[in-house]
Amino acid sequence: MKILAIDTALQAVSACVVDDEDLDFETRETIAMERGHAEALLPLIDRVMAQVEGGFSELGRVAVTVGPGSFTGLRVGLAAARAIGLACEIPVVGVSTLAALAAPLIIHQNPGPVAVAIDARHGNVYFAAFESDGRALVTPRIASAREAAEALRQEERRRETTQLVGSGAALVAIEAEKLGLAVEATAESFVPDIIFVARLGLLGDPDLAPPRPLYLKAADARPQSGSVLAEAAP
Amino acid sequence: MRVLGIETTCDETAAAVVQLNPGGAGEILSNEVMSQIAEHAAYGGVVPEIAARAHIEVLDRLVARALYDAKVKLADLDGIAAAAGPGLIGGVIVGLTTAKALALASRKPFIAVNHLEAHALTARLTDGVEFPYLLLLVSGGHTQLVAVKGVGDYLRLGSTVDDAVGEAFDKVAKMLGLPYPGGPEVERMAAKGDPTRFDFPRPMQGRAKPDFSLSGLKTAVRLAAQRIHSPSQTDVADLCASFQAAIVDMMIDRSRAGLRLFRERIGDCNAMVVAGGVGANGAIRRALSRFCGESGLRLILPPPQLCTDNGAMIAWAGIERLSLGLVDDMTFAARPRWPLDSNAEAAHHGKA
Ligand SMILES: Nc1ncnc2c1ncn2[C@@H]1O[C@H](COP(=O)(O)OP(=O)(O)OP(=O)(O)O)[C@@H](O)[C@H]1O
Repeated sequence: MKILAIDTALQAVSACVVDDEDLDFETRETIAMERGHAEALLPLIDRVMAQVEGGFSELGRVAVTVGPGSFTGLRVGLAAARAIGLACEIPVVGVSTLAALAAPLIIHQNPGPVAVAIDARHGNVYFAAFESDGRALVTPRIASAREAAEALRQEERRRETTQLVGSGAALVAIEAEKLGLAVEATAESFVPDIIFVARLGLLGDPDLAPPRPLYLKAADARPQSGSVLAEAAP
Repeated sequence: MRVLGIETTCDETAAAVVQLNPGGAGEILSNEVMSQIAEHAAYGGVVPEIAARAHIEVLDRLVARALYDAKVKLADLDGIAAAAGPGLIGGVIVGLTTAKALALASRKPFIAVNHLEAHALTARLTDGVEFPYLLLLVSGGHTQLVAVKGVGDYLRLGSTVDDAVGEAFDKVAKMLGLPYPGGPEVERMAAKGDPTRFDFPRPMQGRAKPDFSLSGLKTAVRLAAQRIHSPSQTDVADLCASFQAAIVDMMIDRSRAGLRLFRERIGDCNAMVVAGGVGANGAIRRALSRFCGESGLRLILPPPQLCTDNGAMIAWAGIERLSLGLVDDMTFAARPRWPLDSNAEAAHHGKA
């Protein structure tokens, strides 16, 4: 089955198509960018799909990163993925950016736990940690770098070095070292490798991992208070 | 010809399929609207991030339902249109991206529609009116008089220099402690009140250029309200009735100035067309039909569900553009500001 994977949640626009039966097949494109995801995504998908013989009708599934990340960015990817799912009548599965960032370390090299921290500004990070076999150790959350390090300490059973990845890894590493934890911030890319989004998408169950946003943060809005009459009333 | 239209510029998520029948008449095959009013009510206005979240949550299902109700598949369509602005950028991006991706994956033309143009062309869907005609667009975000000369060919005759009319209704409702959205509430209270009790100003009265101004009127209502200590239901009703009476007078006076300018600049006017949520107001509708009767002008008041934001108007504007060969590509960017008349001087602060 061919799967189209899409990621616009962080500082890049990416798409790829892989095939779980034909492991040699792969077409992908990633453009690093801070803004402009909405304008860049569809032309990029068009180029990627042009490499797939038979085009959209060959797809069996779509995977998309659901966040955490830029609110607008993740909605761009989700809107496109859900529309393609509707047009092609195929399932769409959501993949967390935290899992996608951790996946290369979990699958390839790493003997110990993997923690992912994405810079969420103002000293906060989107954070999660995984066992070396991929099971959840710390569930996805937004936290200060300090709180993230403390969550990691609570789960530290064996004295194994925790690999830290993501744009907030350095922030959390500083706090973790203050707590005496063994961590290593790797210089991995700050955006998911799109091939791993596709692989997680192939493993995921569309019913259990629906393509719905994972914001981890409430919309910034405050209820407005009453009328001038209410204020004037005694 | 059949086109799917998607609308997500404000607090309504909408999708519709419209068909162009031989002979040129439009037929609405489906028209799905999901309002977010409940989600925004606690904030007394539309919160952009909450709106964007609500759009992405429901849009694909709404599109599926619009197709299902119209008994068509994507393959049966001739194009896919979305409102690309003006409006709240976060929501626009959801609708625009959805439409582009549907178009790309089903190999159909994509049409980026100006939300205001869609309002302006609705009367051609409902009543088949010929160009040129005078459009009075009065909503929560816009208040303008426009000469509609053709698809993509507009002359803005006048607009508000401060608040939109719907916005004024909403603000007055809020200061009087009435629930959101305020327009219908103010109208309901006004029906029980005395429109002559407060003598509110009629801003711009008699001016040749058909502009509007609402802020002075709004302030006058606020001051009158504050002068009454613990106002009764009757006081609130009288305030609403007097406010609405001032609005009605202003609308007629400004429409008269607009019609005069239209005849001067363009010539014969085929109709006066009303669009936007405020067009649902009964007092305004009655006054306009009196005014048009006196002026020998055909009045077109589309049904309320086609006056407020909807997908059918986007689909219809898509049909009009597609018929002229006007299509857009996958790089089309959302336009939070997008005046109908590109030659009109910059809107005063984006609300015109
Ligand atoms: N019966 C009524 N009387 C007066 N105003 C009304 C009435 N019904 C609705 N409105 C007003 O209409 C506005 C909503 O209209 P609409 O949905 O067309 O506009 P919008 O989405 O706010 O703006 P736009 O279409 O310009 O982006 C609100 O301000 C509302 O208070």
